[in-house]
Amino acid sequence: MQSPPPPPDDPGIKMREHIYDGIKEYDQRLPNWWLNTLYGTILFSIVYWFVNVIAGVVPSDGTQIDAAMTRISAEKMASSIDVSSDSKLWEMGRNAVFIDSGRQTFNSLCVACHLPSMRGKSEIPTAVGPDLTDTAWIHGGTPKEIYTTVAKGVLAKGMPAWEPVLGQKKTAEVVAYILSHHQKDEAITLQEANK
Amino acid sequence: MSAELKSSVPPSARSPGHRPVVDSVTTINADGSHHALFPADVRGRFTVWRRYSAHVLISVYLLLPWIPVKGYPAVFLDVAGRRFHFFGFTLATQDVWLLFFGVSGLGFALFFLTALFGRVWCGWACPQTVFLDHVYRPIERWIEGDAPARRALAAAPMTAAKFGRRVAKHSLYIVASLVITHLFLAYFVSIPELWLYLHEAPGDHWASFLFVFIAAGLLYSNFAWFREQLCIVICPYGRLQSALSDDHTMTIGYDALRGEPRGRLGTPDAGACIDCNRCVQVCPTGIDIRHGLQLECVGCAACIDACDEVMIKVHRPTGLIRYDSLNGLGGGITRWLRPRTLVYGFLLLCGAAAATFAFSTVKPVNFLVYRMSGAAYFVGSQEVRNQFMVRLVSKRTTPATFTVRTENLPTGVRQTGFGAPVTLAPLAESVSPLVLLIERKDYHGPFKFTVKVSSSLDKFTLIREVEFMGPDARLLEEEDHDKGIKR
Repeated sequence: MQSPPPPPDDPGIKMREHIYDGIKEYDQRLPNWWLNTLYGTILFSIVYWFVNVIAGVVPSDGTQIDAAMTRISAEKMASSIDVSSDSKLWEMGRNAVFIDSGRQTFNSLCVACHLPSMRGKSEIPTAVGPDLTDTAWIHGGTPKEIYTTVAKGVLAKGMPAWEPVLGQKKTAEVVAYILSHHQKDEAITLQEANK
Repeated sequence: MSAELKSSVPPSARSPGHRPVVDSVTTINADGSHHALFPADVRGRFTVWRRYSAHVLISVYLLLPWIPVKGYPAVFLDVAGRRFHFFGFTLATQDVWLLFFGVSGLGFALFFLTALFGRVWCGWACPQTVFLDHVYRPIERWIEGDAPARRALAAAPMTAAKFGRRVAKHSLYIVASLVITHLFLAYFVSIPELWLYLHEAPGDHWASFLFVFIAAGLLYSNFAWFREQLCIVICPYGRLQSALSDDHTMTIGYDALRGEPRGRLGTPDAGACIDCNRCVQVCPTGIDIRHGLQLECVGCAACIDACDEVMIKVHRPTGLIRYDSLNGLGGGITRWLRPRTLVYGFLLLCGAAAATFAFSTVKPVNFLVYRMSGAAYFVGSQEVRNQFMVRLVSKRTTPATFTVRTENLPTGVRQTGFGAPVTLAPLAESVSPLVLLIERKDYHGPFKFTVKVSSSLDKFTLIREVEFMGPDARLLEEEDHDKGIKR
């Protein structure tokens, strides 16, 4: 094809001195907005470095993380439930709202091993989990011990730790639902797991 | 090139001393400053078609969040709810891998289209061009007048009248930018939620507030000043096109065979080009298309319409500047079927086939089987036990019932959990245990089984293969033998 007419020579265009493989390079000025962006980032890095590292205006990463963790744990505590005493847990075990929420969680997760009746092996001998309605307990029958069993699990026997999955409140609700099947003054016996 | 122009062109429309050259960018002065362009008005068929298509595209952009499909906006990327609605088709976060086909498909489609038609995307569909040419430039034209008037206004000293026009123009720019960014946010939060945001304190949704206003600021400065710089310097596509196009690719070009040697009307032995410079005056990126294909060209076709109008006036055939390939402009033949288009087209087809298959595997529910925390398996006196959790993620916008079943189990396996179908609320998720036990006497080592999820509403089944883990069967045999248990 016929090439278009050559454009007019522009005397304002400078060439770099080198020629590589026959390729010549223009030496034109970059757009000012581009240069200013570059200078801006350099300036920003200096200011950033000064503010963060030298002057310490902004707290260090470690301090910020510590502050955030403190805030998170404070928020957790604010929304958590006091499970430090048996009497508090008994109180929850008599609270209809807690029991109802606990029943929902129990029926979606715990029933696979402990059965909807909560009677486990007592109802069906081949069930995986033990009976939670009788007074014989394998890992302790006080409310605090039951809470620990549900929260931390009994990993060797296949009872998973539920607190990391459910969170503190839902775990407490499940314990409340279990306690709703028990009396405060009932006699507790410790029993070996029948393997 | 002659510095003389046709007498019908008003002198103020020219930019003296700033004729486009191919060796440097017109819009960047030798000292690096920005040379603002005042593209002249243009009339013609491509201008009209481009206006229609842009108005359709802008309407689609503005209306999609308002159109409900199955109770959700037509396109609703609900990041907070982790559900993504596309015209009644809902995806969850777990389906994000499909994005691969969106991105690669866009890439291959662009390759294919560019090999065939050059930069049609830039001129006809790119948001930069669509918003600039059909929202911001019309505002400017309306407030400040045509190109000579705008050039005169820019050169005039600041007076109350000029100040008033500038304020009016920039206010409208800012309003347009805010509308565009607010609608953009609506794609992620929905219109009612956006309406709520607008009525509450900025601090209540400070991240969204900052996003919308920073984005609006960027759009405003881009469309008010930056304009063609984005296409020329920032956008990589203009640079890529030289690798994607060839001599058979449709581009906008000048027929030098017919046009040269250019000369004013009445010049003996002159070509068709009367050197009126209209093609340069209307160019939004400040090039002279008669120098050939250049990376600044966004394929807006303004020069085609400008040249055709002049050719009609001087009773010469139109098409001196036209959509054609470099070969076609050189008098040769444009071949549409050539290795490049065949390979790009084949790859695009392969990608489309793979994407179709991938989308066909997407079902209204996602499910995942994983082991409960603790040991991988438990060996009891009677049986070996594996404990799993099954996570169901419903993408239905109505309540849905799902059945979870295990299959391909060896004899002697019992299952607890998922005895009954699971009903999930719209878009809800559930996690439930699935426990499998196998009698010691039936246990012959680890095995694989399948978990199936199906729905009663419509016929689909999802299958996962899961491994039942356990000890070497001989260990259990020995243990039972030692204890004297009969197997």
